[in-house]
Amino acid sequence: MITKYSTTQSRKAGFTRPSKKLNLMHNKNVTLFIQCLIDCLYPDVGEAVVHIFQKLGLTIIYPPDQTCCGQPAFNSGYKKEAKVAAKRFIRIFENADSIVCPSGSCVNMVRNHYPQLFRNDRKWFRRALSLSKKIFELTEYLVDILGVEDIGAGYHGKITYHDSCHLLYGIGISNQPRKLIRSVKGVQFIEMKDSDRCCGFGGAFSIKYPEISTAILEEKVKNIIDSGADAVVGCDIGCLMNIHGMLSRKGSPIKVMHIARLLAG
Amino acid sequence: MNFSDQNRFINNVRKALGRSPGHKSSLQEIFSIKTVDESRELYEKIKTRTSTQRQKLLSRLINESKTVNLNVICLKNATSVSTSIAGLVREKEPEWGSRKSLTAWEHPLIEKLKLTEVLADRNVPVFCSKLRNNKEAVRDRNTEKMQIRKHVIDSYIGVTSADFCIADTATLVMKTRPGQGRLVSIVPSIHIAVIELKQILGNLKELFILLQHDPKEKSEGLTNCMTFISGPSKTADIEATLVHGAHGPREVYLYVITGR
Amino acid sequence: MSQITTEKYKDEAKRAIKNPVLQDALSNLQERLGKGAVEAYKNLPEGHRLRIEAHDIRMNAIENLDVLLKSLAENVRRNGGHVYFAEDALSAVSHCLEIARKHNVKTAVKGKSMLTEEIGLNRSLEAAGIEVVETDLGEYIVQLAGEHPSHIIAPAIHKTRKEIGKLFSEKLLIHYTDDPPALTRAARKALRDKFLAADMGISGCNLACAETGHITTVSNEGNIRMSTTLPKVHVAFMGMERVVAGLNDYDVLFRLLPRAAAAQNMATYISYIGGPCHKDQVDGPEEFHLIIIDNGRTKILADEEFREILCCIRCAACLNVCPVYRKIGGHSYGYPYCGPVGSVVTPLLVGINRAKDLCLGEMLCGACKEVCPVNIDIPKMLLGLRAKLADGDRKWNVTRASLVEKALYKTWSWLIRNRWTYDLFLRLAYFSQKFLPQKGGMIRRLPPPLHGWTGKRDILPISIETFKQRAKRINLNP
Repeated sequence: MITKYSTTQSRKAGFTRPSKKLNLMHNKNVTLFIQCLIDCLYPDVGEAVVHIFQKLGLTIIYPPDQTCCGQPAFNSGYKKEAKVAAKRFIRIFENADSIVCPSGSCVNMVRNHYPQLFRNDRKWFRRALSLSKKIFELTEYLVDILGVEDIGAGYHGKITYHDSCHLLYGIGISNQPRKLIRSVKGVQFIEMKDSDRCCGFGGAFSIKYPEISTAILEEKVKNIIDSGADAVVGCDIGCLMNIHGMLSRKGSPIKVMHIARLLAG
Repeated sequence: MNFSDQNRFINNVRKALGRSPGHKSSLQEIFSIKTVDESRELYEKIKTRTSTQRQKLLSRLINESKTVNLNVICLKNATSVSTSIAGLVREKEPEWGSRKSLTAWEHPLIEKLKLTEVLADRNVPVFCSKLRNNKEAVRDRNTEKMQIRKHVIDSYIGVTSADFCIADTATLVMKTRPGQGRLVSIVPSIHIAVIELKQILGNLKELFILLQHDPKEKSEGLTNCMTFISGPSKTADIEATLVHGAHGPREVYLYVITGR
Repeated sequence: MSQITTEKYKDEAKRAIKNPVLQDALSNLQERLGKGAVEAYKNLPEGHRLRIEAHDIRMNAIENLDVLLKSLAENVRRNGGHVYFAEDALSAVSHCLEIARKHNVKTAVKGKSMLTEEIGLNRSLEAAGIEVVETDLGEYIVQLAGEHPSHIIAPAIHKTRKEIGKLFSEKLLIHYTDDPPALTRAARKALRDKFLAADMGISGCNLACAETGHITTVSNEGNIRMSTTLPKVHVAFMGMERVVAGLNDYDVLFRLLPRAAAAQNMATYISYIGGPCHKDQVDGPEEFHLIIIDNGRTKILADEEFREILCCIRCAACLNVCPVYRKIGGHSYGYPYCGPVGSVVTPLLVGINRAKDLCLGEMLCGACKEVCPVNIDIPKMLLGLRAKLADGDRKWNVTRASLVEKALYKTWSWLIRNRWTYDLFLRLAYFSQKFLPQKGGMIRRLPPPLHGWTGKRDILPISIETFKQRAKRINLNP
């Protein structure tokens, strides 16, 4: 079953009306992959993504059967289990025009690791490869594919940005989110020190090697605090959950925000 | 020499590479990356440099020398170079012991400096890293080598020339030849090198092109030791603090004879 | 063999994290060298493209190692040198001991070489009554202190100037100073005597040239030139992968190496050494010996998944950007090779099970690949190693690291197969999290095996409504 949103439906659902100048993309379909951590911990982020696309007048398709791309298993070396997830993902998404996911590491997984995972399986390799070409990370899709840098969002405050590793090194995204943040009305953008250094998340690593993970995170959090920003924005919920976890423990008032929520604001 | 070790070893490597038993491959087949034409072209370019181009290389060298703390001094002729060296000898004090002495290469460019004469009145001996070629000497070569070694160790300045100097990285390139010892450029506290403008090359690539395409360089080969030197010896092993003069020379002076 | 303490990774890492002096030193190192390397690449006319070219050059060499090694050996012999092929550490060491005996060697001076650490050369020479002096300043400090190097090119990075000052005042009998130039001068003086008295010079080999039969040595200090010129015998140790086809290859590699290693455009000294001194030359060693070592490398070569790691030129750039190395330092890795490259090389050399924490205790962030001068995909190989630990591997003699974990991932793969079971699981988790301590809407403590997370972090509870449910809710036609 495919759940479709159209702009008419969304207005009834309480979403704001898209501004006229941006409402140019009626004919575009976008299929959402909402990463599992967003699905169960930060569903607001998913909603924000919906909001952004509706504002832009896109038709949103959300396959409700989706679960996980398989990254947790893959990164821990459990390739067989990862393949189960990957095959399922391919089956669900391969007929989409373009898939957008608000998570760099999932896109990295699908785009770069799926073909590798199936390198010895001709049939699945082909399917993985063709899928890998139509999945996009949210900011990449907005800036590079749609050519949109200003979504007409507003936010009052100082914002700093954390470069997630798989987003930066895996799929080479660093300017797109910055462009989007800078164009949000009322935002004062501040680069933190070493924004491109890992936050220490690393998936299962953060649980298996908590001392190393939090030692790395301490420095990230220090750089965020030292930046003087009142909110830190990122494109990967894993990193943000990590940063959020420590800022909360420290009782810091600094907000942690997925870029979708900033852009939907 | 134990060739069975070698054969077994290389067989293991072949197995690891999954070579078929009959697989043959020569070194020449492996050099596939660079095209010969391009190298030829560059070789011609190096060989036909105008004096303006050379001056440009010199400016690049002077600029780059600052990064590696190499002192480049451009002078018109050999006489002014030896006067300048005499100045350095006067000014600089020995690091080990109190007596001043120099050891220099046997090299046409160095001979032109007439260092022995220039420094005679200061009572600073100039030794040459050269073996005598008469019969007695040949018989007692070891003693003679030991003596030269002692001179180099006692000298606080070593004077050499170089085969080339690479502008991009301020790198002196020197091969090893009779009379042109390796120790002269590493053991003394101060290393002075003297070259002519025409010896300056643009970059590392040009050097490798010359080594492979210049008939003279090609027939000589790299010799048993070809060394690149870019500035004085340095270390940053203590708290990443840069210190010059770790083991080799603390200072390096490069004289470029410009001829005008 | 070198001592292997890879099992202590976690404990050593914890200890390193708690050492504020080490933490400062590591940050300082990365600020200078790691960032410097990235900057230094920028002044290359070819930019990052050159790293890809370097990768091709190295891969070309690795895939033709049989031919290159044979040519190298022939050419070195033609130049008057001796070549030995050693399959393991023991045979490499015994070749060196034999040479030492023949020349009645009492003192050997050494240039920095990770390979000699790997084969435990110093201990064997010392056991034979030979004084071995490390001459790289960092290595010398580490040797005087009776420790091991903690970084591939900055071995004493874990020591402060104060510690070095104290060490020198005790061992070199000088007045205490913590001034780096004064300390360097003291070492310069002490080591000069060693250089002049040594009977044997030992060096590693950076990248040998098969075409001409030369090894290359690279240093900033000049200690390798001293070690390979003053003593009457020069013995060079070379890992079998450290060779390139011809002179053409060096332009690219020698422009990248110093940038990657030390943010320099060029190292102070690079020497191409191919054989002993000729009878009409005034100096240089009378004999030149090259010992080429396998010690587990053919096994890596045979596995196409890991072959690429043999491209490594040991510049240590990956250490200088690695967020994990930045916190745990080199000693935690328990083997001479540390940092990201060590996390791949060490398990392959000493055993994957034994060094499992090295493969699992890295983050796959990818900073190492981005800075590698020969563009080695280190994260990919870490993933490869993890896969072996996950399911075991006969070829590498790996047993499954954790049955429990395997069962967990197996269960997970069942859960995610069906959205219905997945949702059911989330519901269960949602209700059971009510028993966990919470504050300000955040969970303060998770139960084992997840408790590692909440040592210093909170976590958001599972939402009452998943995105899927919201999607359904905001849709008017459920």
